[in-house]
Amino acid sequence: MTSAQTSAQPASQLYPGQERFVAPANEVKLEAVDSVDEDAPALGMWQSAWRVLRKNPLFIVSGILIIFILFVALFPSVFTHVDPRYCNLSNSLRNPSAGHPFGFDQQGCDIYSRVIWGTRTSVSIGISTTIFVTLFGGLIGAVAGFFGGWVDTLLSRITDIFYGIPFLLGAIVLLQMFTDVDSIWKLVATMTLFGWTEMARITRSAVLEAKNLEFNTASTALGSSPARNLFRHVLPNSLAPMIVIATLSLGQYIVSEASLDFLGVGLGGNTVSWGVDISNAQTLIRTNPMVLFYPSLALAITVLAFIMMGDAVKDALDPTGRTA
Amino acid sequence: MSKKTDTPEDLATLSAEEYKGWSNYHPSDEDNYNQRNQPVRPLLEVKDLSVDFTDANGKPIHAVHKAGFTMYPGQWVAIVGESGSGKSTTAMSILNLLPGTGHITGGSIKLDGEELVGKSQKDYDKLRGRRIGLVPQDPMSNLNPVWRIGTQVEESLKANHMDIAREKRNEFSKALEHAEVRLRNADDELFIGHQDWDDLIRTTLEALASAHVPDVKKVMHHLRHSWVIGSTTRWSVAQDLIVAGLDDDTAWRVAKQHVTGSDMKDRVAGLLDEAGLPDAATRARQYPYEFSGGMRQRALIAIGLAARPDLLIADEPTSALDVTVQKRILDHLQGLTDSLGTSVLFITHDLGLAAERAQYIVVMYHGHVVESGPSLEVLQHPEHPYTKRLVKAAPSLASQRMISAYQHGDANADRFIEHHQRSSEEVAKSKNIITVEHLTKLFNLPHKKEKFKAVDDVSFSIKRGTTLAIVGESGSGKSTVANMVLHLLKPDKGKVIYEGKDTSTFDKKQMLDFRRHVQPVFQNPYGSLDPMYSIYRSIAEPLEIHKIGDNKSRLARVKELLDMVELPESVMNRHPNELSGGQRQRIAIARAMALNPDVIIADEAVSALDVLVQDEVLRLLNDLQAQRGLSYLFITHDLAVVRQIADDVVVMEHGQLVERGTTDEIFEHPQKQYTKDLLDAIPGGKLKLGLDL
Amino acid sequence: MGKYFWHRVLQAIPVVIGTTFIIYALVFLLPGDPVKAMFRGKAANPAVEAQIRSQYNLDKPFIVQYLLFLWNALHLDFGMTFSQQSVIDTIGRAFPVTIKLALMAFVFEAVFGILLGILAGLHKGTWYDGVILVLSLLLISVPTFVTGYLLQYFVGVKWGLLPVTASAAATFNDLLMPAMVLGSVSMASIIRLSRSEIDTNKTADYVRTARAKGMSNYSVTVRHILRNSMIPVVTYLGQDIGALMGGAMITERIFNIQGVGNLTYQAILRGEAPLVVSVVTILVLIFVVCNLLVDLLYAALDPRIRY
Repeated sequence: MTSAQTSAQPASQLYPGQERFVAPANEVKLEAVDSVDEDAPALGMWQSAWRVLRKNPLFIVSGILIIFILFVALFPSVFTHVDPRYCNLSNSLRNPSAGHPFGFDQQGCDIYSRVIWGTRTSVSIGISTTIFVTLFGGLIGAVAGFFGGWVDTLLSRITDIFYGIPFLLGAIVLLQMFTDVDSIWKLVATMTLFGWTEMARITRSAVLEAKNLEFNTASTALGSSPARNLFRHVLPNSLAPMIVIATLSLGQYIVSEASLDFLGVGLGGNTVSWGVDISNAQTLIRTNPMVLFYPSLALAITVLAFIMMGDAVKDALDPTGRTA
Repeated sequence: MSKKTDTPEDLATLSAEEYKGWSNYHPSDEDNYNQRNQPVRPLLEVKDLSVDFTDANGKPIHAVHKAGFTMYPGQWVAIVGESGSGKSTTAMSILNLLPGTGHITGGSIKLDGEELVGKSQKDYDKLRGRRIGLVPQDPMSNLNPVWRIGTQVEESLKANHMDIAREKRNEFSKALEHAEVRLRNADDELFIGHQDWDDLIRTTLEALASAHVPDVKKVMHHLRHSWVIGSTTRWSVAQDLIVAGLDDDTAWRVAKQHVTGSDMKDRVAGLLDEAGLPDAATRARQYPYEFSGGMRQRALIAIGLAARPDLLIADEPTSALDVTVQKRILDHLQGLTDSLGTSVLFITHDLGLAAERAQYIVVMYHGHVVESGPSLEVLQHPEHPYTKRLVKAAPSLASQRMISAYQHGDANADRFIEHHQRSSEEVAKSKNIITVEHLTKLFNLPHKKEKFKAVDDVSFSIKRGTTLAIVGESGSGKSTVANMVLHLLKPDKGKVIYEGKDTSTFDKKQMLDFRRHVQPVFQNPYGSLDPMYSIYRSIAEPLEIHKIGDNKSRLARVKELLDMVELPESVMNRHPNELSGGQRQRIAIARAMALNPDVIIADEAVSALDVLVQDEVLRLLNDLQAQRGLSYLFITHDLAVVRQIADDVVVMEHGQLVERGTTDEIFEHPQKQYTKDLLDAIPGGKLKLGLDL
Repeated sequence: MGKYFWHRVLQAIPVVIGTTFIIYALVFLLPGDPVKAMFRGKAANPAVEAQIRSQYNLDKPFIVQYLLFLWNALHLDFGMTFSQQSVIDTIGRAFPVTIKLALMAFVFEAVFGILLGILAGLHKGTWYDGVILVLSLLLISVPTFVTGYLLQYFVGVKWGLLPVTASAAATFNDLLMPAMVLGSVSMASIIRLSRSEIDTNKTADYVRTARAKGMSNYSVTVRHILRNSMIPVVTYLGQDIGALMGGAMITERIFNIQGVGNLTYQAILRGEAPLVVSVVTILVLIFVVCNLLVDLLYAALDPRIRY
């Protein structure tokens, strides 16, 4: 077709501007219906999430920080040779000197060394609690969501009850019984006990959503069993919000641990921990604020890194904001 | 065709009947129209409109490229095209409501001669609602869930400072009625208010009685039902009374005395009533979640028309609804806009709908207008290759059963049937591969004691190697039947017989074998494939479940299956989110075919697809049937698709089987009223498109 | 609405029983011995120990202990402290201060959190959105007690703008800084939540419909975007009451406020488990009631819930 305007009817019978119009056939190339772009790179959900992530400056910054923090936690002796438990009262509150860049605290312990070694405590408590919360809360939520019925009702009521106890209050009640135990595991256990409800709720709703998608019905019609569906389809599809919640709450557990130390129900004096050091330094704020400053800074940077990572992961995995 | 011969000059010479056929004006205009003779100028002129979006990397994506069309007052104009053709973008740029990064990069949009491109946000606020209304696409997401329906209609009135006591005529309808203008003053446009009602009825009754009008009771019944608070004007009341037999003076006296204007609540209810919502005053106090899709769509129509715009933009206003509901709503909308003189620009993917409702059509493809003109002319004699392609693919009632290129006639069909999976003990093949007897399914309703009969005593059989379609609207129970046949739901009564054996007696092993032979393809191409699985894993999943073959043979089988559904091998490593809806549906078909089944149960398998893609998938299914002697149970709401693919049809309504027969019988001689209504409601069903293709 | 109200109230009953039971069981059923804990490992006089055990019904079977505790708690009878004062009186003296503190913190976090969140959400991508976002990230990452000490040092000690510690009278001025510290973390979360909610709702279909009606930008923003965005924020505020109670323990300690938090802290130091249990039980009950109220408010805001 060469002419842009072909009219089957005389133009006089039409309104001006409403004549028959046919675009030249060569103006728009007619493509094959529904063709596959074979050149585009293949991307699964995780790959596309990764592509979003690696372009996110938040992820890059927090990723580098977290790698560094993990390295410090795993190999503190690379950064200091001073024993954090070696305290000499004659060094009490001494200013920084060679080999002791942050100076000494009231007990005469090396602050730099304690900050370095404290990383391990905070990070292991944060990571362990997150793992246990994810396993326990995830299991409860997945079972409730997948099986439904009375199982769901029962588990949801139990979740409601634990949800009714404010996290810090519950932890205080339990931990005050064990002030003489000086182990990170009492904190991990306590925080798991009072912290699993959110994970359970998120997992339950994610599983409920994934369960009702048609691909489960399709698999059942192929002969797949409910258990196979749960592990092969439903759980993998519920992972994204769980990961987001886990990353975001990791930082919160580290803060909570320090808060519990501060309230005197956390770790004892034998464990090197930022929370304990901050708690001990509180009386020095007017005279020697730097003693308080260094462990606080370390704590804040660690928590910030994990929260930024959580934000980045959330943007990549959950663009619709299901986990708010 | 009188539709095409109308021009401004011709208007004066048309007969009343012809004129009505072109556009229904207010009934009162019929005897006055030929007195008017003024030139009509375009209401909307879109010229060289270009719209860009910006992608994540800041690169522009051209969504609309130099699009243009013109529409006149009172016309219905349709923009048709596939998803992504730029039809909605074009419409939304008229309202300056482009989503996200969308922005107009060039061209002009003139409303009544006034340029809109470049206007400020404030100017648009004045324009929207009052001059241009919108009826959006998805009724589920377009009403704010936290406000009452009535409040949301009220917002529209308040934002445009509408006089809630009086009807507003737009310029065009005023022009049409210029003969009346001298008779009608502003107060003649007052609506009946709730305070008027009792007195109006009482006085009317007295007046009718004293005028000795025969059959007063019947007349009163009629008036009570046609008069609506907040919608019927004093003028119409007077006219009705004159028609009923009162003299002019009495009629006007009653109307003047007892039609004194409505308040906000009356008007909101009146508007909802106009949009076809029954019991509008009560409905106005409800929230969107208490409404069905059709009711929400009516509320959105009321909102769009509340400020009496000159132009109504309707973006696929009914595509989410059942055909019969769609027809009712569109009929109603057409009556309303005709009486108000509103022009309608409607966006649709349905060619039949465009042919039936629009005087003028604009076909879009890849952001370009490829063809435009009088709708019937364009659709019956398409000239652009794309339009031709589109018209050819559009299913209609006039189309015939698809004939596969592979088909060798019925006698040879058996040769292609693959039965190597079937056990050898099987004797003479029965004529029917699946028979369903007295299927019944009850569901519990929330907050209610009595159970809901989703499926009520349904029986039918699928003949080997043929296609049986179950047709029905939403809630007819057709998908429940499919799920019972697939043994995904247990029937409360009745049985499913496969190859002569009652499937309810199957043990685990037999059931696994049954699953191997009866496979589903579901509706939602976005939900039926696991997004975490690669295409290879998805297609190989049935082989894995049934422990067939090793990795190597599975890979070969997957390649073979991809070839069967006409997709390149390279898609194997991709994930569902990288494929289009049609491609996913092909993958779903490949997965269903992996185990060499005998029966495929397709539940609305093509309804979510664009016309062209739908056509291709239907052809694929048809070819597979011819090659392999498959039997299909095809669940759909789309009768036009049924015409193309089915041999036998079962019609369902409210869980019950209404009618069954061969496709030809059902389409040519439907016995039941419901079937007739369904056939009637198909947009453009009686029109023949693509005459010279 | 009435039906929903009673449904929610009935649902709260098992939660009350469950939460109090858990708290009670944690202290009196677990291997740790609260009476031994009182003596902090020192050898105790068996007679005194027996007397304490009988005073707290610890000599009875556990379930009886719990039921007696619950029964007494319903009568606001929580027994005596070690110093032989009525527990309920002791709590009663401390409570008004804490409630005042929590209320001020609540108002602070709600008002500033929502305002800043709206500002950032409506103008996403501007420089002040960036500043608000960084501020909220910092507030979340830095523990309350560090923020508290910093503020105390600068505002109180260095600049002398506000009292460093609270007086016994706990005036508005005394509590202003503690309330800001207490509310700071939640404020940051509210900023983030309302910001992302507003950002999502801005592009909702019903917002476009509202604009198409011809409504002004202001009306659309207030009636559709903000109205809908506040629903999850209200839910968050309800849950946050629990966090405020825990946080009050920390804040009261920093600023030496004679409230419930400090009382609990002192009780922990003295190893006075029964007092801790009583205080926490009351706080949990308040939390459950607050949550109930918030749920009802939530239902008023979101009609879909009432069904």
